Amino acid sequence: MLPFTLFALMFLLVPTMFIVVGAFRAEGGGFTLAHIANLFTPSILAAFSISIRISLASAFLGCLIGFCVACALTVGGLPRWIRGPMLTFSGVASNFAGVPLAFAFLATLGRLGLVTVFLREWFGINIYALGFNLLSFWGLTLTYLFFQIPLMILIVTPALDGLRREWREAAEVLGASRAQYWWMVAFPILWPTLLGTLALLFANAFGAVATAYALTGSSLSIVPIVLFAQIRGDVLQDPHIGYALAFGMIVVTGIGNALYIWMRTRAERWLK
Amino acid sequence: MFHPRSAPRSAAALAALAVVAAGALPARAEIPQALVDAARAEGTLTTVALPHDWCNYGGVIQGFKDKFGLTVNELNPDAGSADELEAIRANKDNKGPQAPDVIDVGFSFGPAAVKDGLLQPYKVSTWDEIPENVKDPEGYWYGDYYGVLSFAVNTDIVTDPPKDWPDLQKPEFANAVALSGDPRASNQAILGVYAAGLSAGGAPGTEAGEKGLEFFAELNKAGNFVPVIGKSGTLAQGATPIVVWWDYNALSGRDALNGNPPIEVVVPATGVVAGVYAQGISAYAPHPNAAKLWMEYLYSDEGQLKWLEGYCHPIRFNAMAKAGTIPQELLDKLPPAAAYEQAVFPTLEEQEAMKTAITAGWDKVVGANVQ
Amino acid sequence: MRPNRIWAWLALAVGILYFALPLIGTIEFSLRMRRGVYSFDAYRAVLGDPQFRATFSFSVVMALMTIVLGVLVVAPTAYWVRLKLPRWRPVVEFVTLLPLVVPPIVLVFGYIRLYNTSSWLPLTGTAGGTNVLLLAGYTVLALPYMYRAVDTGLRAIDVATLTEAAQSLGAGWITIMARVILPNIMVAILSGAFLTFAIVIGEFVLAALLNRPAFGPYLQVLGANRAYEPAALAVITFAITWACMGLIQLVTRLQKHTQVPR
Repeated sequence: MLPFTLFALMFLLVPTMFIVVGAFRAEGGGFTLAHIANLFTPSILAAFSISIRISLASAFLGCLIGFCVACALTVGGLPRWIRGPMLTFSGVASNFAGVPLAFAFLATLGRLGLVTVFLREWFGINIYALGFNLLSFWGLTLTYLFFQIPLMILIVTPALDGLRREWREAAEVLGASRAQYWWMVAFPILWPTLLGTLALLFANAFGAVATAYALTGSSLSIVPIVLFAQIRGDVLQDPHIGYALAFGMIVVTGIGNALYIWMRTRAERWLK
Repeated sequence: MFHPRSAPRSAAALAALAVVAAGALPARAEIPQALVDAARAEGTLTTVALPHDWCNYGGVIQGFKDKFGLTVNELNPDAGSADELEAIRANKDNKGPQAPDVIDVGFSFGPAAVKDGLLQPYKVSTWDEIPENVKDPEGYWYGDYYGVLSFAVNTDIVTDPPKDWPDLQKPEFANAVALSGDPRASNQAILGVYAAGLSAGGAPGTEAGEKGLEFFAELNKAGNFVPVIGKSGTLAQGATPIVVWWDYNALSGRDALNGNPPIEVVVPATGVVAGVYAQGISAYAPHPNAAKLWMEYLYSDEGQLKWLEGYCHPIRFNAMAKAGTIPQELLDKLPPAAAYEQAVFPTLEEQEAMKTAITAGWDKVVGANVQ
Repeated sequence: MRPNRIWAWLALAVGILYFALPLIGTIEFSLRMRRGVYSFDAYRAVLGDPQFRATFSFSVVMALMTIVLGVLVVAPTAYWVRLKLPRWRPVVEFVTLLPLVVPPIVLVFGYIRLYNTSSWLPLTGTAGGTNVLLLAGYTVLALPYMYRAVDTGLRAIDVATLTEAAQSLGAGWITIMARVILPNIMVAILSGAFLTFAIVIGEFVLAALLNRPAFGPYLQVLGANRAYEPAALAVITFAITWACMGLIQLVTRLQKHTQVPR
């Protein structure tokens, strides 16, 4: 415990304190709640709302799809050699974010993207005419999934490995069908892990700024971008609002975490 | 007010001053040898936020290294002006190679840096040739180069480039127009909105800011505006075939793409906004003499011409043009001088006013808060 | 009760399609550097640079060290919390989620303020010291993923019983960690290692502001204002990182043969 605490203090908590202190510090020094109060303006609240919704959407979808793929890899009965490359690929893809990812999606599903053009020329389907738009809430969520799904796969695979064959055999012996096995045995065991990964995916999406900035920079106002604009950028802004925003993000993450822990404690009640 | 339109008047004044100065000071002010020796003793210079493709900083840094034999630590070429100030603040007590010696920031950041006590004053030997209203009278910060906002057009996709701001609203430019940054944070993007407002007849300051917002709101409603941040890649790929960019960025981007695809750089007929950047030496610079030598180099003919090679107008452009020290080939590569006649240089007060209007109003007016 | 293979293949196919298409889009664009024909010009421009190898090796070494440090910090902690201090779990988990929402630029400026040349621990004054700082920073960035991976792994094994069994056979704590727990969670650690490796290779802000010659800043300098080169760089980085991870997996697989197959 001690090395971790020391490490976390020295390299994570104390540097982060600058944010917390900055959020409450007035212009000339001294304590103030003004910056926090300034957070409750409509545009900033809207930014928080969009951020939270995109993070939830990409976390849930990432969880679901990632789980399916992870299942396919572990218990799906696929050839063993597929697993290694898929896991390493997930490792790389989980960090493929920011400008390269935004550009990759623009080059594929943008108005002049490869797939868009292909579908139009070869099948006569114009996805943009049908209402699809990469530069929108769902377009951004789709892009976020590129690093959310691999993250889910990587974290959940060891858990799926831990589902012992004996349990399935025991269930079979007692007459359970596949669906019953999954519903009554596997899912309850996996539930805490799934929740934990959901929390991780949420925080991951919540803090992601580079991809959103590159893709929808000026149209979708998510919190990290607003934060970015305050503490970086070429035009003078108010760094204190930036600190207050960062503090707000920490609070939201804390609340999300608390929710997750509460749900997990209830799920774990019957587990050792 | 620094208007090239009034260049003849100020050029006459400058010429008079030069004649007087030539008699009083050594011609083409020399860099003191003592400074060169002191800088060499320090050995390195630490810079921040200088991308190699911006104003040919790659060439400038190499020229500096070749001429004086110092090494240059280049920190974070991706930094914005606010990052540079923050880097000075954070490195106040740090003498290691992470502390920047010199900064190159947006115009409005100069006075802000002075207010926070982040800069130390220094007047280069060519100080008098820097126009009055783009430098701090006490020498804390000084304008270094300028350019005007232009349209970079991918002529593979947009066969008939727009000539002016109102053209952008035409239906043939659907899904085409992009800014090069986030209008809530990026100098280039905010001035882009401002330029559109000036073109629409707004008075300099808040009014042009608001008219610019209306222009972009219309552009967005018409479906011509693409909210992606325009870069070389998106310009070439086609996601943003028209990008509102500093002319020097557009021109060097055009060169880098080398005809694939062909790019045309158009300075709009109305609403020409010029932007000045400023240099400063950090108050806590670990290598103050190297920093001063760097400034001397930048403001010498050699340094100023290297910026010109990157298509940036160096701040001593007028003086050097009159003295005939600019090679004709470089002049030919620039956009026609007529375009610059109308360039408007926003004052600090005007910048503050319109910046507030634009950053606060963007989300509301342009309707960008997608739900 | 045979696993229904059709669904597995379908899930895999959808997954592969989703991931392959954007990459194909990027590759296609990077090949377009020479007008009208597909060519490898962008790749030649990128790979010909001598800095490429130097900065990439630096980052690979840093990545491997970060993995080791990460495991050393996280594994014993997760184990201890699970075994003896379950009440601390919410706190520890919250702390491990923090790096995801704290912008790295805030982190690095915090480091410079705390550990500069005039402070109680002047790490920034020397290259070695700054490397230590960079290593710590990378480990912090990888913390959420490493912790979640290790925690998942520990959950799948019966930690209490294994510990008791080992203790009854006379093992000390270090032996328990090294020879009983770690081998059993190797798959999870590997997941965490992959994530850490990818993070360190691509990381930019920390290295750029601490002035270390890492791969991230190099990528930025090379591709900042270009069109085709960054696409080529993205593809190359992706391929090389994937290959490195394949190597890591190969190395650990050699060790796996000593374990009992499930």
